Amino acid sequence: MLELLDITKVYKGSKRAVDGLTLRLGPGLHGLLGPNGAGKSSLLRIAATVTRPTSGQVRFEGTDAVARPARLRRALGYLPQDFGVYPNLSAREFLGYLAAVKGLSARSARTRIDELLELVNLTHAAKRPLGGYSGGMLRRVGIAQTLLADPRVVIVDEPTAGLDPEERVRFRNLLSDLAADRVVLLSTHIVADVESVAGRIAVVKDGRLRFAGTPDELLRTVDGHVWEAVVPPETELRFRTTRRVRVPGGIRVRMLATAPPLPGAVAVAPDLEDAYLAAVHR
Amino acid sequence: MRAAWGLAVADFRERTRRPGYLLMLLSAIGLGWLAVPAADAHWVVLDAGGRRGVYTGAYVGLVTALTSALWLTFVGFYLVRDTVARDERTGVGHLLASTPLRTAVYLGGKFLGNVLLLGSMAAALAATTLALQQLRGESRALDLPGLLAPYLFIALPMLAVTAAAAVLFETTPMLRGGLGNILWFFVWMVGAVGGQSPSAPLGGIGLPHLPSMSGGEFSLGLTYVDTPLRTFEWPGLALPPSYVGGRAIVSVMAVAVALLPALWFHRFDRPVASRAGDVPVPPSVYRGLPRTAPAYGPGLPQLFAGELRILVQGTPWWWWLGAALLFWLPLAVPPGVALALIWVWPVLLWSRLGTRTTTFLAAYPSPHVRLLASWAAGVAVTAALGALASWQLPLPFAAASLFVPALALLLGTLTGTPRTFQALYTVWWYLIINDVVSLNFMTGGLPPSLVGSAALGCLVTVLSVTAVRHARR
Repeated sequence: MLELLDITKVYKGSKRAVDGLTLRLGPGLHGLLGPNGAGKSSLLRIAATVTRPTSGQVRFEGTDAVARPARLRRALGYLPQDFGVYPNLSAREFLGYLAAVKGLSARSARTRIDELLELVNLTHAAKRPLGGYSGGMLRRVGIAQTLLADPRVVIVDEPTAGLDPEERVRFRNLLSDLAADRVVLLSTHIVADVESVAGRIAVVKDGRLRFAGTPDELLRTVDGHVWEAVVPPETELRFRTTRRVRVPGGIRVRMLATAPPLPGAVAVAPDLEDAYLAAVHR
Repeated sequence: MRAAWGLAVADFRERTRRPGYLLMLLSAIGLGWLAVPAADAHWVVLDAGGRRGVYTGAYVGLVTALTSALWLTFVGFYLVRDTVARDERTGVGHLLASTPLRTAVYLGGKFLGNVLLLGSMAAALAATTLALQQLRGESRALDLPGLLAPYLFIALPMLAVTAAAAVLFETTPMLRGGLGNILWFFVWMVGAVGGQSPSAPLGGIGLPHLPSMSGGEFSLGLTYVDTPLRTFEWPGLALPPSYVGGRAIVSVMAVAVALLPALWFHRFDRPVASRAGDVPVPPSVYRGLPRTAPAYGPGLPQLFAGELRILVQGTPWWWWLGAALLFWLPLAVPPGVALALIWVWPVLLWSRLGTRTTTFLAAYPSPHVRLLASWAAGVAVTAALGALASWQLPLPFAAASLFVPALALLLGTLTGTPRTFQALYTVWWYLIINDVVSLNFMTGGLPPSLVGSAALGCLVTVLSVTAVRHARR
């Protein structure tokens, strides 16, 4: 449905943010994982038609979305990482304006906005100016605008930043429902955000694709490579550690290694964070 | 002092690393070219009783320093007056407010940053001046002290006053917005005209003894001359203690003006009008996706209504009061007077056109329709305000109603700030009031057909610029 083919983005000063990256996205939730500065936001801006790639193609249902972005934009819900709002408008007015820009009819927009405000739990504050909203409330307005036109493609960049735990759970449920028959591309550097909901995961670093597949496939890449041991606090470790917890008698460390890294180290079942870190540092 | 200097340097670096800074430097170079024209040119900036100085280092320094004291003070104010607002916008202000940094030190840092920026423009102008002196070739003797002394004693104090005024305006509630931008024009005009008088306090803009050299006649400002001026030898800027003292007092007063807002500056602790977050959140559970499928339809009226709302919401109550009075004013005074006021009053609203956007819209369809709806909202405000007054001059009013919002939209879109339109439009009206009929779009030399065409030109330019930006996104 949405294809990012051999995408490269080079910014001024020759910074290569995305480097020959290809992703083919069908219905389902795709988690885009990577450290800060990996090129995730650049890739998402390209997928959302906000930025042009330096080279490569974005194709939506066979159409070149770089040259002719209108078709994808009509089908798109995009939540950028940082965004501004009109502080003097209320949430209802702001969403009404954006619905008009999307071309929704007035009656349809009214009903849809009511439902979306309820969905993001903002009905009680719908008439208040956005200038008085907290960061989490603004993020929820952003989520609501993403869904205004019932998009077939949803692109969300670090969507849970600023949300409290309850809202994060609600948002994950929402993404799961959306992913039933839509393309959902979610970018984050927090593994927990995707591990319970993503059907497929792509790991990027330095603008390049390090892994693409299902969470199980990602886990299998580190099968038998995760070890735990309790070591004295001053121990110098030569292996990549994924976790350190202070316990009585020293520090329990979790390490990535192809063979037992220390005497007494025991193999443990890998989790997605281990697999992600291994993919990033491979 | 170290903290203030650190703030100033950071501020200076932030501003000089924007593409617009290059444009500022180019403008400074252009000013030099205007102030030191070729010997056969038909314009001058300084006319001392039909004469001008031979282009020695001292004279070109004098004339370009005076030019910067006159014009950099006007433009410079608009260029530097965003520093506190930027700290508030970006959240840096909150970071600074949580440090032990004292308010006076913060303001001092901002003032210094402004001085550095304006000073860098003056430095570019001084370098240009040196090159122009060699290029014009009337005197190639290198006289750096003579060239730089006017910068030190004329330009720098005036730029310090501008830098201080920018800090004062930015930190004073009533002057923070567009009203301050317009007020500065009048403050500057009074200062620039009154400051040239020999009897101006503290030496005015810094050259009280020039008129005596020219037999009392003297003009400062871009002037057309039929024949090139005769020349005289300028001996250089005399620096008696009273003169130097006057310039020092002006500079110290500038520092005092910059620090004065420490008495009331909010230190980024501004109350929010409506705390939506204070409302108790009712218990709610996730019940699945919205059930209503969106339907597409004629969204233009809603889009127009949205743009109108964006344009007018957040406008202070006193503006609405003024607008209500203006609407009914034609019933009490001749419509011509009312019309003149109507063409100035909405400047703060028009100047918002093209400058208010949200990140979401970059991925939304129809950017051109949005722009046209935004322009239509500006036209609607104008038409509503002048509904009673326009009957006397319906055609010029209609043409100008299309043109002024189009110009505002163009400048807002190009520069991203309302200040450009506010400054340009205020100057425009100043010239109209001073009988420059060729700029008068209501009762003067600009026929409605031309004004209407200009509106169309502005719109075509806005749409083209947006299309190019979109293509290069």
